[in-house]
Amino acid sequence: MRLELHLADYAIIVMYFIFVIAVGWIIKRQVKSSNDFLMSGRSVPLWITSLAFISANLGAQEVIGMSASGAKYGIMTSHFYWVGAIPAMIFLGVLMMPFYYGSQARSVPEYLKLRFDEKTRSLNAMSFAAMTLFSSGISMYVLARLLELILGWDFDVSVLLSAGIVMAYIFLGGLTSAVYNEVLQFFLIVLGIAPVVFVGLHEVGGWEGIVSKLSPEMTSSWKYMADAGDNPMGVDTWSVVMGLGLAMSFGYWCTDFLVVQRAMIARNLIDSQKTPIFAAIPKMLMPFIVIFPGLIAVALPHFVSDYAIPTGADGGPDYNMALPSLIAHYYPEGLLGVGLTALLASFMSGMAGNVTAFNTVWTFDIYQPYFVKKASDKHYLMVGKVTTVVGIIASIGVAYLAASFNNINDFLQVVFSFVNAPLFATFLLGMFWKRATGHGAFAGLLAGTLAAALVHGLTIAEGKGGWITVVHEYGSGLSHAFNMAWMSFSVNILVTILVSLMTKPRAPETLKGLVYGLTPLAHGEAKAWYLRPVPLAIVVTVGCLILNLIFA
Amino acid sequence: MEKLNDLRFIIGMFFGLAGAMLFVLSFFTDGGKEFGRSLNHFAGAGMLVFGIFMLWLSKRSE
Repeated sequence: MRLELHLADYAIIVMYFIFVIAVGWIIKRQVKSSNDFLMSGRSVPLWITSLAFISANLGAQEVIGMSASGAKYGIMTSHFYWVGAIPAMIFLGVLMMPFYYGSQARSVPEYLKLRFDEKTRSLNAMSFAAMTLFSSGISMYVLARLLELILGWDFDVSVLLSAGIVMAYIFLGGLTSAVYNEVLQFFLIVLGIAPVVFVGLHEVGGWEGIVSKLSPEMTSSWKYMADAGDNPMGVDTWSVVMGLGLAMSFGYWCTDFLVVQRAMIARNLIDSQKTPIFAAIPKMLMPFIVIFPGLIAVALPHFVSDYAIPTGADGGPDYNMALPSLIAHYYPEGLLGVGLTALLASFMSGMAGNVTAFNTVWTFDIYQPYFVKKASDKHYLMVGKVTTVVGIIASIGVAYLAASFNNINDFLQVVFSFVNAPLFATFLLGMFWKRATGHGAFAGLLAGTLAAALVHGLTIAEGKGGWITVVHEYGSGLSHAFNMAWMSFSVNILVTILVSLMTKPRAPETLKGLVYGLTPLAHGEAKAWYLRPVPLAIVVTVGCLILNLIFA
Repeated sequence: MEKLNDLRFIIGMFFGLAGAMLFVLSFFTDGGKEFGRSLNHFAGAGMLVFGIFMLWLSKRSE
């Protein structure tokens, strides 16, 4: 599949590049301290932090990956939103932000330092810094490959161009510039992809048309989950609820600094709480933008003769091309430029989110405690800027590494899952059990990570895993990942509790602002109920339940 | 210069320009696609309206 761009398409793409760099240049005047550069001076309005919160996650994996999953697994992909995101976002807003924001920590690892100790912070900071660099590099690699495939653009030019633009606007304006651009990217992605959904649904006869042509397992999100063998995703209710809905989802949305950082830069505690809750509203509706194109791509060949999902190297459908192929099928010159710019924006948004989280963690959680403890603010501002450049260069290195070794992406994803799977248990116990100790948290994290590796080594799915011996085979890679997540989460909980009970706890007065029961909780200053976190969270929860029921 | 700091102004300008471009383009070509003309027409109009709305929000906050 090769697209031909016209002058109008190039004009839109160039205009977008000019705007994102201009944002950095405009913000540059406001950046006077390390706090401005790395924390946006904690002065960003609520509507911006909320949209940036979901946009930082709206990278390539979401836009291309979820439409691919929609084509492969059907509406069950919505579990990644209505089970695997919204409950965790609400939990973060209502129960966890008071500790992140109230403790005045500058980062998630710094909260671990305040709550537990230096070694727990270091373990989290080092693994997080490595993961953000690899994620940014892999995002760059996938973007360059996609542009090579659909536009014939040179791989090197795509890597250097995307890296150069992201570096320019972050170097100039820091986190504020990245956050502003994330909001622009959010609207671009929604408005750039929505026409595909409208015209696609029109051609297939709406949701009823999709239901009439696809198998029932593709159009029901819950009905076929009693047994993993009954649905295309190969998962059962337990693994989705416990693995995806609890361990993986809460581990990502409630502890990953990449997204939590967007809530931490709000103007005040109440706004920081409302950030993930407000963000949950558009997030809840994102399946209609990113999953529906996949369903349309599978249903459309039943209605028209001039469209099919392109085939991959193995001769089967290349689901990753579901969205790009629909854009190519429908969009005329002009709108094609908007659609492509939306794809570019999704990659750049993911890349920038990782780089801004990396430079904050590196500067505050690695450089400051281990290299130069006391220096002027000007020094840390300079370190933040240099780290941005170094981070982008390292990401370019990862992009070329991924291009050289086909399996490195899979390998890294597995390693990241070992680290991420148990993480939420550490924060859960840290925030809600004052008896949890630093030694307990550190031991729990290590044990949870080892448990994830052990489960992966003893079980197999789709030919992956089982590198120790095979004691069980899962029906799908997703089922494998979900089960690994809840097991390592459980091991972390158990080990943290056991070791904490055997070690000396911290005095309660040193835990004020860090632990539930020792921290005065704000209940909202706004008079209108819909502006207070808890009532708002209830409304969002009801909306999420309704969506689950409609597509059950 | 202060106006440029307002994100609503930046978003409004981007979508206003992009929407106007698509809307005008829809009168000249369908890009050889079945829904080409309508898509550029309505998507352009939608972006233009969204852009103007953001500019109005920005103006209102002055």
